Amino acid sequence: MAEVVGRIRQANYVPKRWLATSLVLLVIFAIFPFVAGEFQTNLMAKLLLFGTLGVSLDLVWGFTGILSFAHGVFFTLGGYAMAYYLKLNLSATANNYGGTLPDFMVWNGLKELPWFIAPLQFFPVAVIAMVVLPAGFAYLIGSFIFRSKVSGVYITVITLAISSALTTFFVSQQAYTGGTNGITDVSTLVLFGASIPPIGIYFIILTFAALVMAGSWWLTQSNFGLILRSIKENEQRISYLGYDVANFKIFIWTLSAGIAGIAGGLFVPLNKFISPVYLGVAFGTQIVIWVAVGGRGTLFGPILAAILLGQIQNSVDRVTQDWQLIVGVLLVIVVLFLPDGLISLLPKKFLSKKSNQLTRSE
Amino acid sequence: MNVLPINALSSLIHLAQATPAAKSFDPIAITNQLLNGVGIIGILLLTGLGLSITFGVMRIINLAHGEFIMLGAYTSFVLQSNFKMDLLLTIPFSFLFTAFIGAIVELTIVRRLYGRAVETLLATWGLSIVLQGVVKLIFTAQLKYVKAPPYIRGNWTPFEIGGQAIEISYYRLFIIFMALLLLGITAFLLYGTKLGREVRAVTQNRDMAKCLGVNTSLVDMMTFAYGCGLAGVAGTVISSLKSVAPPMGQDYLVDAWMTVVTGGVDKLIGVLAGAVLIGESNAAIAYLINDPTARVIVLAAVIVLIRYRPEGLFTVQKRS
Repeated sequence: MAEVVGRIRQANYVPKRWLATSLVLLVIFAIFPFVAGEFQTNLMAKLLLFGTLGVSLDLVWGFTGILSFAHGVFFTLGGYAMAYYLKLNLSATANNYGGTLPDFMVWNGLKELPWFIAPLQFFPVAVIAMVVLPAGFAYLIGSFIFRSKVSGVYITVITLAISSALTTFFVSQQAYTGGTNGITDVSTLVLFGASIPPIGIYFIILTFAALVMAGSWWLTQSNFGLILRSIKENEQRISYLGYDVANFKIFIWTLSAGIAGIAGGLFVPLNKFISPVYLGVAFGTQIVIWVAVGGRGTLFGPILAAILLGQIQNSVDRVTQDWQLIVGVLLVIVVLFLPDGLISLLPKKFLSKKSNQLTRSE
Repeated sequence: MNVLPINALSSLIHLAQATPAAKSFDPIAITNQLLNGVGIIGILLLTGLGLSITFGVMRIINLAHGEFIMLGAYTSFVLQSNFKMDLLLTIPFSFLFTAFIGAIVELTIVRRLYGRAVETLLATWGLSIVLQGVVKLIFTAQLKYVKAPPYIRGNWTPFEIGGQAIEISYYRLFIIFMALLLLGITAFLLYGTKLGREVRAVTQNRDMAKCLGVNTSLVDMMTFAYGCGLAGVAGTVISSLKSVAPPMGQDYLVDAWMTVVTGGVDKLIGVLAGAVLIGESNAAIAYLINDPTARVIVLAAVIVLIRYRPEGLFTVQKRS
């Protein structure tokens, strides 16, 4: 049976229009920091990261049909890994509190660095932890829940519980995590002996976003992506075709958590702090909103939505404090009237790629 | 008592430090803690009951449930501050008001999304943001306080020995009483009246119910409104426990969900079972270790439970 699906391949060419658009966008984003000020550069870097985080959620939700409120958790786990590294290095060089311990540990009466945090003072360990920690955690959860009859809404409720439980946990372990404040006042990122300026972080983030986009595009239009989409459409049928649905789900879930973790890790040198706020249900739903508003199952949708909403928020915030209200109204409107998100508002011929998604190669 | 199996983890979860003083086997402290659990049960039952109607009966994922609780609390606040009304007297008003808002929401949003669980979930989340925003616009983000009536203040002390006492505040007793009362009323409405029969008929087979002359859309609206009204009552009863603020509903949302999912949604008794289970295990673990750890452990247990029995503990297996 596998051959049958194998024969139905997607058109294996890169649609020129899309390639051109992507390149133009990339060039615009590359020029952006030289035109805009430092504030805008930082804001844009943040929004690009959020957009990429949205894309990672889109891989599991838009393409595979698993709605998760726990992507903020994976993001934050990666963030904490990087934050410990930056904090420990700051503490090793310029420390006003005596010793090499981070300030919040000293305040909470820790005498020495806990063994499970100590390795994070080395850059390679921190970088690996930033991916492996969230991905490993996701793998554990994934293999636990996807190999059962649990489906749909209940998985979403489980992710809610995970997010809520971890928030409580991180807040309560003040001596190790910095409690509600999280890890603040981190040092700037230093690579190969050179301190990276904000514009450097912007370009690291831009590269990361571009790689994630390209990788996700390749993945979703490959046979693998086809199977993911079939799982979303009809899980039972694809399992009758002999595919182990659980394995596919676990793989994409873990991969997406890894991407979210890297996004979190890059977020810390930019944002200068990480806190349990990003673990919480509210941030988890914020990511869901980016994907829903931008367009589920599209790659540009979440990034578009994150940038659009972020920029509007930035300008509206000066006028009104009730930005959230606008987001809420927008979300309701999109769900009721624009189920494919804002990206479906683009001219139809621009999206014509959809019509030849399934073409027989023979 | 100090040496628990959990200690294996204690290098990671430094548990001992935040523990309350009473550690040795102390029947009075344990009883008090269990009574504390009864208070939690009351809150869980109150907040979960409305959900068990909207989710259990109608299969609607209502993430705005917490905001209906908040609306109920604000109704009481307005009535109390403007008309000096007794908290108990405001209960019918907050029921009617939140039920009315619920009916409007059903007509305008939920109705369009029946059968699409994820869409409903998103829309009700959007709605919850909107409701919070609107309330913030009207009342500002400032904390408001609602006063409990004087006759249910203070503690009830059934037993006292050598300076130690078993006690429970009257207000907690009141909460659990209200919760059980509402559960009883809801059970009567569902299982003892014609309307309840229609509601169950629509749940079991919508098309057939329609064929037999049940006005399904009216039943849908009434059921959703009733569930929201229950949330409103919960809000009123809870309002004087803590402060009243726009985001307050969020605190109860996840717990209410866990209660409903744990007990199972087919029978009303499931909510009670879920509330008792979560409430008492929370209190017991909190007594042995500490509050945050108790919450983490209980949530983890709920996850494991959903994994093995997504239909809940107290549900009869059905053939689909």
